[in-house]
Amino acid sequence: MSDELDSLDPYVQWIASEARRSVAVDPAARRRLLEAVRAEPVPQRHSRVLAWMLEPRRLALPPLATAALAAGLVGIGVISGLLIHRDGRLATEQLPSAGAAGSQLPDSVTPRAVKFVLIAPQAARVSLVGDFNGWDASANPMVTQGVKGMWTVFVPLQPGLHTYTFVVDGTHFVADPTAPIAPDDGYGHKSSVVLVGGSSL
Amino acid sequence: MSVLSLRRVVSPLALCALTAVAGAQDTTARVRELDPLARLSEATRYQVELLFDSARVAKLPTAPLESKALQGIALRADGRRIVAAVRAVFRSLRDARAALGPSVTLDELKSAAGALQVGITTAELRHLAQTRHEKQLTVPLVVLADLVTRGVPRDTASQTIFQLWQRGAADDDFLGLWRGVERDIVSGTAPGVALLNRAREIPSRGPPPATPPSSARPDRSENPNP
Repeated sequence: MSDELDSLDPYVQWIASEARRSVAVDPAARRRLLEAVRAEPVPQRHSRVLAWMLEPRRLALPPLATAALAAGLVGIGVISGLLIHRDGRLATEQLPSAGAAGSQLPDSVTPRAVKFVLIAPQAARVSLVGDFNGWDASANPMVTQGVKGMWTVFVPLQPGLHTYTFVVDGTHFVADPTAPIAPDDGYGHKSSVVLVGGSSL
Repeated sequence: MSVLSLRRVVSPLALCALTAVAGAQDTTARVRELDPLARLSEATRYQVELLFDSARVAKLPTAPLESKALQGIALRADGRRIVAAVRAVFRSLRDARAALGPSVTLDELKSAAGALQVGITTAELRHLAQTRHEKQLTVPLVVLADLVTRGVPRDTASQTIFQLWQRGAADDDFLGLWRGVERDIVSGTAPGVALLNRAREIPSRGPPPATPPSSARPDRSENPNP
């Protein structure tokens, strides 16, 4: 290595020797350097954006716009409530296919998809109520598909005997003309009976 | 107070009021969802829950009672009517259990309660249960209640169903009978005649009919729910 240095230009040799020379370091220099680094403030990223976001501002809205905004928020909540049932299922969501109706599942406790049909050409809306949905008219709305006036809905029902009726236009309670009639319900209306999982009533 | 200041005060207040109304409606809906009987008056609810307690003590299912109360709420029936309807269900379940025994299924119990409500006696139920031979009573009892509701004389209906049951009729036989009678009634045939005609078409599948015991003859005094 020294032979190689000896063959170089004297100026280069001087640079090499200077580079190799040990330097006397002040023992307090490291401490001073660290103190200087610590004294520096921590850099803040997007500080201007954050400051803009945090700065209090005055939002001026006329009362009419405020009411419209509030009504819009309430409307969104109401529509969300109408579209989503308590079990998280969409109100218009149906079971996969009509072929599932009446299919016999091996497990006696497995719900079966049961198709309910009502012919009501004059009706504007029809829903199904029964002991399986707490007689809640909003739980199982029926839809017309294909044939006009033919209202259908698929409902998963536990095996067993169920009582139900149709609610037409929110006020008329109509028994299923294709099913056995339930005994007097005590309220002056007729209901129907369906047996799920056994012989099809 | 200037118009500008008034606006500044009224706008947030209106927003808060609307939010509060929406929140209150949502809370009410959630309460009703979690506790559907919350829509009953306090007095009605108290009486209905007494009946629930009675059912629990008698080891009867409370679901049919709750369903009856909810049906009354859906039909906007008044409180007294709801209590009466729930009480009728409780009594018919209790009597059906007494007639059919403790080993009865829930569906059989419900269908037997329905049969009692249309006037079938506990003695008739008891006799059916004694000759069940592991068969389910649900379909015959549902068909029996339907026939009586459609206007078939009670005695004619119960005796015909009993005879078919004794002859070993299957669920499909009873359902075929019901469909045929229903069609005939719609066509104008008298309900009792329609039943007797259709019953003759059902072949015998078991032993010859047994004569119903005298205790199984109609005795309306035994039925608390005429």
